[in-house]
Amino acid sequence: MSHKPTLRPLSAFIASAMIIGLPAVATANEPELSQSEVLTGLENPWDMAFLPDGTMFYTERCLGLSVRLPDGVVEHLLGMEGTEEYAITADDLVCEGQAGMNGVAIDPDFDENRTVYVYSASTMSEPRTNRVLRMTVNSEFTEVSDRTDIVEDIPYKPAATDHPFGDAGAHNGGRIRFSPEDGYLYVTTGDNHNSEIPQSPELIGGKVLRIDRDGEAAEGNEPPEGFDPRIYTYGHRNVQGITFHPSTGQPIVTEHGPWHSDEINALVNGGNSGWDPKPNMAGRGDCPDDYCGYEPNQTEGMDPKERAAYMPVTDFETYPDAMQPAWKNDGLSQGISSAEFLVGEQWGDWDGRLIVGFMGIGFGGTPVGQRINLIDIAEDGLSVNDVTELPVPMGAARFRSIVLGPEGDLYMAVDEGSIYRITPE
Amino acid sequence: MKVSLFFVIAAALMMRSVSLQAADKSAGEALYKDACAQCHGPKAQGMASFPSLSGRDAEYITSRLETYRAGEKVGSNSFLMIPNATDLSDDDIANLAAFIADVEE
Repeated sequence: MSHKPTLRPLSAFIASAMIIGLPAVATANEPELSQSEVLTGLENPWDMAFLPDGTMFYTERCLGLSVRLPDGVVEHLLGMEGTEEYAITADDLVCEGQAGMNGVAIDPDFDENRTVYVYSASTMSEPRTNRVLRMTVNSEFTEVSDRTDIVEDIPYKPAATDHPFGDAGAHNGGRIRFSPEDGYLYVTTGDNHNSEIPQSPELIGGKVLRIDRDGEAAEGNEPPEGFDPRIYTYGHRNVQGITFHPSTGQPIVTEHGPWHSDEINALVNGGNSGWDPKPNMAGRGDCPDDYCGYEPNQTEGMDPKERAAYMPVTDFETYPDAMQPAWKNDGLSQGISSAEFLVGEQWGDWDGRLIVGFMGIGFGGTPVGQRINLIDIAEDGLSVNDVTELPVPMGAARFRSIVLGPEGDLYMAVDEGSIYRITPE
Repeated sequence: MKVSLFFVIAAALMMRSVSLQAADKSAGEALYKDACAQCHGPKAQGMASFPSLSGRDAEYITSRLETYRAGEKVGSNSFLMIPNATDLSDDDIANLAAFIADVEE
């Protein structure tokens, strides 16, 4: 199935103007986008990772890990509790609320070691935790084996609380990516609706971890003294997107806001992102179940600016040295999710642009906002020069994961159950 | 008195039945696409932590929407459902229920 959107003829007009000698006022070189559906009928596809030949590993949040081979054949590799039709099933891998199997990454030396990694909720520990699993894929891509849990202690929300989205299993983060710059694995985690977690030196929720392929702390991590050495940055709320600047290598994350202020942050080694939803501090009193993340009014609409003043995502008053967000979605929270850079001449003027997906959430007068933003982020990561919308053919959807494929096309997983391939022309 | 009460209840049930039969599924579909599909999915299959409505009958959907419209909490997503249901008319609810009960995954 293929579809082309209505073309925007500005570049054609300018080209014509140049040919017939009119003064050219601008030189837009924006590609047209065509779309094809790679997989459909999926159940909450969450992430993808590609080999150079187009082989695509992908996760479904409540089912498990599968792989789509270049000829279109799909092999189901690692199933979660209660699944069928997978080569193996791990009954400790569970799906609850927002939790389940999330990110997937391929080892940079896959040709030699055939290793993949996934992030998943697990009942192997009591209480349950989120984990990063390392596995070996056989040469036929039909099985995984040698499971080793290289991170076993990412906090998991064990029980429901009195908050929006307050069920057990909330705020897990879950994106995992290898940096092309340093070769380490970056793991994003969430705050579990637990106010102690984001600023905790020991609990590794609300953090970005930077680890080696055995799960050990990467050399050069610089968290504050006394912090878990795997921590690269801390003070996060729920980070579900991470990518790396194509020229500087700086890790850049997306962070869900609480009824206000979705953020894009360029990470600084050892930095604090400034999220601290504890009660009885920063001008706040008691809060439901000791978590002020949605205060001062967690169930009814109010001005997002008032919310931001009361419960900032980046609290510069308490933490003056916190990392400066590059962008705050104009003060709104609309379910910011995955992040990726467009790289390659085929993207024309968009080569080097950051793109971020929004799943959309309409609350208290905020527009739902399902879209892909195209962002010109400043090279120092402290601001943005321009924000527009990528005119994707499929229209609005819950954009969960965005990954640049090996041929330079863009792949998008949407909660509606499909993975699309977007080709610039 | 008992006989009168019986007839009142019977009449109410009949009206409810007529109301469900008269529901406008196409109007329900339009309303669903505008207000519900972004979370529950285009075919009511459920997405992310938003529940599937597939297989739910019209009585169930009607009951839940009337509960949310009354401002009563049911589950952790009530903060989203209550404002969405507040302005629904009886006809809106009947139309939505008719569409959702009949949607094919």
